[in-house]
Amino acid sequence: MELIKKVLQGDEKSAARLISIIEEGGDEGNRAISLIFPHTGRAHIIGVTGAPGSGKSTLIGKLAVSFADKGRKVGIIAVDPTSSKDNGAFLGDRLRMRNAEKTEDIFIRSMANRGYPGGIAKATAGAIYVLEALGKEIIMVETVGAGQSEIQIYSLCNTVITLLTPDCGDEIQLMKAGLIEIGDIVAINKTDNAGAEDLLANVAAYIEQHKTKSRQTRVLAIQADKGSGIENLTDALNAHFSFLNENSHGKDLKKIKLKTFMLALLKEEIWNKSLNVLTGNERFEGIVKKLEKGEIDPYAAAQMASEMTGL
Amino acid sequence: MHEKIIKVLIAKPGLDGHDRGAKVVSQALKEAGMEVIYSGLHKTIDQIIHIAIQEDVDVIGLSIMTGAHIQIVEKLMKKMKEEDIFDKTVFVGGVIPTKDVSKLKELGVAGVFPGGTPLSETIEFIKNNVKKT
Repeated sequence: MELIKKVLQGDEKSAARLISIIEEGGDEGNRAISLIFPHTGRAHIIGVTGAPGSGKSTLIGKLAVSFADKGRKVGIIAVDPTSSKDNGAFLGDRLRMRNAEKTEDIFIRSMANRGYPGGIAKATAGAIYVLEALGKEIIMVETVGAGQSEIQIYSLCNTVITLLTPDCGDEIQLMKAGLIEIGDIVAINKTDNAGAEDLLANVAAYIEQHKTKSRQTRVLAIQADKGSGIENLTDALNAHFSFLNENSHGKDLKKIKLKTFMLALLKEEIWNKSLNVLTGNERFEGIVKKLEKGEIDPYAAAQMASEMTGL
Repeated sequence: MHEKIIKVLIAKPGLDGHDRGAKVVSQALKEAGMEVIYSGLHKTIDQIIHIAIQEDVDVIGLSIMTGAHIQIVEKLMKKMKEEDIFDKTVFVGGVIPTKDVSKLKELGVAGVFPGGTPLSETIEFIKNNVKKT
């Protein structure tokens, strides 16, 4: 593929086009992924997750400039939700990355999740590969920001930053499974707001209770919009990446994550194939009718439909 | 395969700080099933080109209220030629006097939609004019 050759030579326009082809999701995109995959595996992939409005885009913009200032080549993929109502998307992350946008060599790509679950788009991993093939050494991925179920980002990234703010809820929220569990670094943003100290103390206590030899989550206080704490955070990111590379656990983790991501893709694949079998099928429509009339319950209906797929 | 999703960049070039219109159009295009990237205020032509390339958009929509639309479009078109991204459809909205519409089209703008244009017209136009690659 001519396009891939150009990407490997560092051509931004070709990389942007290749990402679009991968987003389309056809055979051409899959072939492209197979061809660039051998050129990947060395970059530091950093995920940033947290609730809407917690400051993910602002933080990524600041981190990107900080890394670029140190001579690192940075790529950013910012995922926003596709509307389930109209299938459109308003992609507004990059406008909060003003300085990063002005910095030469920082590549920012917005991406709608197109209904894919887990906080990212199906093509996000493919886009990460393209940016690495383009020569990026640090690739940051911003999740949709729905919150507690953004587990997919964990399997795609080496390091995940969970971003919390003082208004994110009380101790009970922290005790629920979810965000904090997937964070290698928990950054508390907007620490000039009331409640920051309590949150910091609560998170620190939670993490102290849950630390293991192979997993030591860091907690850092930042103010992303003012740029305070950014240097500490880049140091923590670098330290975590070195830790993964020097540690046998890091290598095992990489394997586990690859498999987890493959299984997530497989799930999508099987789901789409099943839908193809069921859509328009008379027996399936019969099951739906029975469900609608209240003759069977939704669990039973799903069971019957699933048996029809032959899996 | 599903049909191709149209990607649009809505950009605010230059110094005017009025983006209500740009936001309304962005929202309408999103509701019409497009993926819309909004540039934010005060973008230079170079920045707009830069965003259009990285995002690989099909359409660039400029919202201009300063009266400098001719100069802005001239500059954009020149840059698009230099960067070889002439496959992208360009449209302009904002405060555009009727007398300037033909000049803008001569420069390579595919559609001009001054304030007051029904949103459905802009949507139809984009759907019919995206240059298929």
